[in-house]
Amino acid sequence: MDYIRKDLGSFNLHMIKTEKFKTITVKVLFHTPIIKEEITKRNVLADILLQSSKKYKTKRDLVIAAEDLYAASISNSNRRLGNYILTSFNFQVLMDKYTEEGNLEKAFSFFSEILLNPDISDNKFKKEKLDISKNNALMILNSIKESSSSYSMIKMLEAYDSNSPVSYRSIGYLEDLDMITESSLYDAYQKMINNDYVDIFVVGNFDNKEMLSLIKKYFKFKRIKKRKASYSLKEHIPRKKRLFTGEEINNTQSKLAIACPMNKLTEYEKNYPLVLANLIFGGGVESKLFKNVREENSLCYTIRSSINKLDNLLLIGAGIDRDNYAKTVNLITRNLNDLKKGKFTDRDIEVAKEFYYTSIEELEEDEYRIINEFLNEELLGLPPIVERLKKMNKVTKKEILKVYKKITMDTVFLLEGVKNEED
Amino acid sequence: MKKINLDGLDRDCFIETLENGLDIFMIPMVDKKNYFISYATRFGSDIIEFSRDNKKFKPPLGIAHFLEHKMFEQEDGIDPFTYFSESGTDSNASTSFDSTQYICFGTKNFKSNLKYLLNFVNDPYYTDENVEKEKGIIAEEINMYKDIPDFELEMKLRECIYHKHPRRIDIAGTVEEINKITKEDLYDCYNNFYVPNNMFILIVGNFSKEEALNIIKEELKDKKKIDLPTVKAVEEKESVNKKELSIKGNIEVPKVALGLKIPTKDLKLNDVELDLYLNMLFTLLFGASSLFRERVRQQKLLLGLSTEVESIEAYKVFYLMASTPDADKLITEIKNVLDKVKLDSASFERIKKVWIANEVRIYDNVEMVVNNSYDDIIKYGDIIPNRMELIRKMKYKKLEDLVKNIDFKNTSIVKMNPNK
Repeated sequence: MDYIRKDLGSFNLHMIKTEKFKTITVKVLFHTPIIKEEITKRNVLADILLQSSKKYKTKRDLVIAAEDLYAASISNSNRRLGNYILTSFNFQVLMDKYTEEGNLEKAFSFFSEILLNPDISDNKFKKEKLDISKNNALMILNSIKESSSSYSMIKMLEAYDSNSPVSYRSIGYLEDLDMITESSLYDAYQKMINNDYVDIFVVGNFDNKEMLSLIKKYFKFKRIKKRKASYSLKEHIPRKKRLFTGEEINNTQSKLAIACPMNKLTEYEKNYPLVLANLIFGGGVESKLFKNVREENSLCYTIRSSINKLDNLLLIGAGIDRDNYAKTVNLITRNLNDLKKGKFTDRDIEVAKEFYYTSIEELEEDEYRIINEFLNEELLGLPPIVERLKKMNKVTKKEILKVYKKITMDTVFLLEGVKNEED
Repeated sequence: MKKINLDGLDRDCFIETLENGLDIFMIPMVDKKNYFISYATRFGSDIIEFSRDNKKFKPPLGIAHFLEHKMFEQEDGIDPFTYFSESGTDSNASTSFDSTQYICFGTKNFKSNLKYLLNFVNDPYYTDENVEKEKGIIAEEINMYKDIPDFELEMKLRECIYHKHPRRIDIAGTVEEINKITKEDLYDCYNNFYVPNNMFILIVGNFSKEEALNIIKEELKDKKKIDLPTVKAVEEKESVNKKELSIKGNIEVPKVALGLKIPTKDLKLNDVELDLYLNMLFTLLFGASSLFRERVRQQKLLLGLSTEVESIEAYKVFYLMASTPDADKLITEIKNVLDKVKLDSASFERIKKVWIANEVRIYDNVEMVVNNSYDDIIKYGDIIPNRMELIRKMKYKKLEDLVKNIDFKNTSIVKMNPNK
């Protein structure tokens, strides 16, 4: 895997050359500090751009064009990363060797068309297209409770800290949807193209010079911007007393969601001991939570913890029976307390390290994980893989223990399933 | 060892059947760092009653899935997850209607992990106590799925399509049924269906085929071929069980599900071809570039849509599930498509091109090759090495002929509207 980073003024280009794939994958990433009221608009914008363009007047025309390019694929996503919102457009197409000469360039022209030549007139998106995208967003917003575990996380984080971006709903808000107009959406588009920071990632087997000229030809962004705001969120001071809260849902199963703020972790701790601390606590089938809450006490089918270093947060989620709520919370608390007392072994650490090494090794077998790796290096200042592997290898029990002591259980939320089976 | 070139993909598949009847499929991809091993039995939730030597067995529903969970129990007390973890290897298992598989995947310790995988699946250890302990975990798994509206919708549709077939029952069974399971039930099923002539091994990725074969031969040398029990055949009527059903769900946006039941006895295509042509048909009618999609999009009638073709003995069933603001209007649109099936050869040729491109992509990724090959083995008993060629040779005329022989009115439709 050869990596070349180029600062092209209006964007950074990341070329990752590998012979692993028969495809060329391109990710165009727009990032900007997140504003709560703008999230919904951003979602609608991403949707409408994939609906049509100047050249392809309907979604069907657009899909057919992609199919004709030997199933070129396009997709988009919006996600929050710390203080920022990341809007990505993902493009993928087979190398010419597996299709026909010139297919790759045609695909680049197609991708460029979707992104940079939207279906607008008089500085407005089309009303009928906007209606479709708004309607899509409306249905997604209305279905928020269908995935009860993500809903429980959303509600828990709002209880945890409603002012922090950590609680912003990535699917957006109903009240913001109504306000979006054909011209306000066009303004948002202009802002994204002209003011957002842009990074372009390309993965595949290509000639660097040829790729550079393709990118320069088809992805033109004018303005030069320099990043300023930090990605990391402000730390949350844990409550003196834990907050227990929740709501009812007409489901059979209850969902438990817990937030544990992490305080005063150093950058080193976040990149190394914390990763292992999470793997040991609840990061997989070999973790304390899986073993003790699921296997030993049969309290749940799913339970896991995850960390986000920018949010300074460790999250725990589990699907349980409402009657086992207190028992489960007590058991999770006890497990965390045991870890804070150093009740974990060298073997636990070795296993966590092995899982980490495997995940790093497997990384290069997946285009999007490769991109994500370089994205993290770029945006979060993560050291390169080789250095991380070396440092991870040297992490000690003492360092992990220190990390556990900086984690506090703060907000416990129960989405209580109150469905009566006899109904 | 039989070597089969996977046409157009720069890959080979190696196949061997041991004397005891175990099938081994190996697809080395040494340009990758990772490997995937699947050890599987053709025992899933479809089998609900069987007999051997005049003795009848009718275990509680959900037994295959329960057995899968309990396979992870070992006499020495060491959990397989724990063993695999030592080398940072992931492991898992899954049960479907027609099979159960145990997998491990990682980048290290291939040989010892393969050996261990075979041994732990070959070595059941069920006790009254460990069976009891699992019931709470599986009950929560069943409850988790029950709360997913799409899952409930699909189960209701299955009840409408099938009169008797076990595909109308949740793979995991019900909380009531699994609570009846005993260790004897588990051993009965294990001893009858976890036998080499009912099982196979699939290995894909970075490994040496010779080493793998030697390990398998050595580890399974004591496993003998055993006549399989008689599985009670299910007689399933050609008609659907129920044409229409309207239910309420814990949702805000209504949902629609349609099932089209297709008896295959008069369709003059072999199974592999039939699946290709049926998938083509439904891609043309309901796929991303279909006229239907554009029409319902313009009317703002569609949020998401998914389709699938299911195979059981003597039938194919087409499933369509969608979320929509207006269930009745969407149903009318779907029915219109099925009432007057309209196809065009240009789209037919374009979708062929898409599929060929997708075949190339699959062979870029170890996990996708595993999934694809596993499906082939379960559905057709073998890996299909020349799918690209088969796709290339598809004829529009054959599709038109097929359409004439399908009764597009043999459908079940389920509507799910919000509770309130």
